[in-house]
Amino acid sequence: MGGLFSSKGKDKKTESRVTEQDKAVLQLKQQRDKLKQYQKKINVQIEKDRTVAKQLLHDGRKDKAKLMLRKKKFQESLLEKTDGQLDNIDRMVTDLEFAQVESQVVQGLKVGNESLKKLHQLLSLEDVEKIMDETREGIEYQQEIDDLLSGGLSAQDEDDVLAELDAIVQAEVTDELPDVPDDELPEEKRKERARKEKRQAEALAS
Amino acid sequence: MEWPWQYNFPPFFTIQPNSDTRKKQLEAWCSLILNYHKQKKSYSIDVTEILNSQLCHNKEIDRKLSLDGLYTVLDELCRTGHLEWKDPKTKKQCLVMWRTPEEWGNLIYSWIISKSMTNTVCTFYELTNGEESEGTEFYGLEKWLLLRAIKTLEAQRKAEIMMFDDSEGVKFF
Repeated sequence: MGGLFSSKGKDKKTESRVTEQDKAVLQLKQQRDKLKQYQKKINVQIEKDRTVAKQLLHDGRKDKAKLMLRKKKFQESLLEKTDGQLDNIDRMVTDLEFAQVESQVVQGLKVGNESLKKLHQLLSLEDVEKIMDETREGIEYQQEIDDLLSGGLSAQDEDDVLAELDAIVQAEVTDELPDVPDDELPEEKRKERARKEKRQAEALAS
Repeated sequence: MEWPWQYNFPPFFTIQPNSDTRKKQLEAWCSLILNYHKQKKSYSIDVTEILNSQLCHNKEIDRKLSLDGLYTVLDELCRTGHLEWKDPKTKKQCLVMWRTPEEWGNLIYSWIISKSMTNTVCTFYELTNGEESEGTEFYGLEKWLLLRAIKTLEAQRKAEIMMFDDSEGVKFF
């Protein structure tokens, strides 16, 4: 009884499909998110510094404005550095993901290779040779039987058969051809009439 | 925000005694509240705040929903599963779900499919605040609701939540 329930419980809780690499990817991506948030923060500060500097210049406090701009410049350099780090992380994530794909491809090839090997075990080269030999023998045997059976007819008979076949084909072809029409072509008719009229005119003239 | 016609109908702001009328009225209030928060992309309600907002107070016709009335409506939303009290005893603040976790889950999953991101690990930040997801409906979705949405996907074996040390994320399948 207990076994029934425990086995059911096991089925339900299937094993996690998350790999160690996935965890590494997640940690990297989280790092990336933090960097992005940091960049956003710096961007906001830069924007703020710029407006403050403008305001200071407007008020004629040049030194203070310069200080602000210097701070802004420094933050811009930070931004550039984080860009580099982001690039690194992104590349690492891509590499990890690609390596996983590669390992899956290798795994797939391995399975394919194994099943191919199993099939080859079933089919040995000698077996194939033997089968092919037997097939050839069979075909030859059949050929001999055919020769024996058709041997009853002489060459003359064969010629007669062919001649008869030709005659039948010929007859069918002529049957299918349409009749030649016997009415005159309209062009011919007109010419005939023209000739007649000409002759009548000549007769009248003479 | 476009208000429904009922918003300019004075009796709408008083809970009606007739049960048939009240039923219709509550339905209208529920959809008004859900639409209002959908428009604002807001996922929580503060009772006192909402009572004084334009949602419950139409200054043009000088009508206001009473606190009891608001509770009647909120309880109705609670019954339909669109709302949950943060603390059921004090009933001061509540979470509002104008889309159920299943609907959110499906939205997120179809986005993942469209980006061919199955078999990929994502952080929660990436899903709701990332550059990639900008412009999607779940951009800015609150974490508690995101978690529930992903849990519905997890039940369908379309995702798996990853939580270890201080990292949290999700892998889609």
